[in-house]
Amino acid sequence: MDLSQPVEENYANPKTCFFHVLFKASALAFYILSTLFADSFVIIFVFTVVLAALDFWVVKNVSGRILVGLRWWNEINEEGESIWRFECLDQESLARINQKDSWLFWWTLYLNAVVWGIFGIFSMVRLEVDYLLVVGVCFSLAIANIIGFTKCRKDARSKIQAFASRTIASSFSSTLHSAFSLV
Amino acid sequence: MSNSHGDTIPLHPSSQSDIDEIENLINASVQSGPATVLPARPPSPPRASIPVSPSPFIQSKIPPPPPQSASSNQKVPSVAAAPPPPPPSVGNSSSIAASGFGPAPNTLTEPVWDTVKRDLSRIVSNLKLVVFPNPYREDPGKALRDWDLWGPFFFIVFLGLTLSWSASVKKSEVFAVAFALLAAGAVILTLNVLLLGGHIIFFQSLSLLGYCLFPLDIGALICMLKDNVIVKMVVVGVTLAWSSWAAYPFMSSAVNPRRKALALYPVFLMYVSVGFLIIAIN
Repeated sequence: MDLSQPVEENYANPKTCFFHVLFKASALAFYILSTLFADSFVIIFVFTVVLAALDFWVVKNVSGRILVGLRWWNEINEEGESIWRFECLDQESLARINQKDSWLFWWTLYLNAVVWGIFGIFSMVRLEVDYLLVVGVCFSLAIANIIGFTKCRKDARSKIQAFASRTIASSFSSTLHSAFSLV
Repeated sequence: MSNSHGDTIPLHPSSQSDIDEIENLINASVQSGPATVLPARPPSPPRASIPVSPSPFIQSKIPPPPPQSASSNQKVPSVAAAPPPPPPSVGNSSSIAASGFGPAPNTLTEPVWDTVKRDLSRIVSNLKLVVFPNPYREDPGKALRDWDLWGPFFFIVFLGLTLSWSASVKKSEVFAVAFALLAAGAVILTLNVLLLGGHIIFFQSLSLLGYCLFPLDIGALICMLKDNVIVKMVVVGVTLAWSSWAAYPFMSSAVNPRRKALALYPVFLMYVSVGFLIIAIN
């Protein structure tokens, strides 16, 4: 987890990347392999959904923070309204984020959702409502993370822009000040 | 340097000379800029015994309205180069600040276990708030403020597993039916309250209805262990009453009083049907 490693070649956080991929892959693998072996549906359901839920938690709380420096959550304020909060690292830390890490993060996130979507289509075509339930749960978890992190990233970009324009404004006024003080 | 001179027009007392204004702007921007002691986010106001923690289970199945999040984000400083701020004096809150974005390597590598512990403790505290008698039930909206969906998830899966285990035939169907019934039922009940013009937050209500399943979980477990019909009926009756009692204040306070029965009756109906499912399984 040392960000001072050379960022071009290696993953900066191999353990986190591994876990990020592990639960997604094992949920998919379990689903695929278990339908081949035709075990009890209950086992398939519980294991797949539990693995998908673990993956959701890991992505949201761990790999999102470590790999791309983003975080999102929901709060209910004093008036009882729900607010979505997005948080990101400051600009220099964001610039130091390993490109390979963030590439892996986003691509596996999207791929995961796409694969579950394909499985959902298969289940719908075959009219297997049970398996559609499993796929539906996993797909919605994947979509939830995608939406959350995409919004967070957009928010981070707009904040950086706002901060940059504020920095320009304040440096402009400081040059004015120095100019005036010389007078 | 800032005093108005005698030979100029006296300024209005509230106006500043140009230099003053520029100085104040600079000071303001420097203070609000990336100071090293700026906290990652303002600590939330201390609440009594509810740990504030930012990681609910499922959050954005329904995308949030953009203006709300945009306006609220202005209050959250995004600059987080600061070291993690000290925990507030209340002690059990603002783990957001404590485990949030400090300097990247230090706080992000260690608190995975902290996050797990925090989520687990939040499940326990939510459970205690919803299901057991406590002083916060009078103000239901505030009590389940830190909703999470992990607890409900565990309870629904547990109930499905228990029912499936008790069933001698068609185990898979029983599980699937139980899960789908409870999940879809919670969603529909929440929509019911919203359509009745009630003020409730979608995920908070899902969370609540899931936590109120805890007594029925206990009932299903006991019924699985003891197969006597009379015992089952008594146990299910008691736990059903307990579940309904747990759900009552939250649901009834969300709608206006004339429509209370319309909101409460379907909840009761759903729990009764789960109760019948428990009794009827053999």
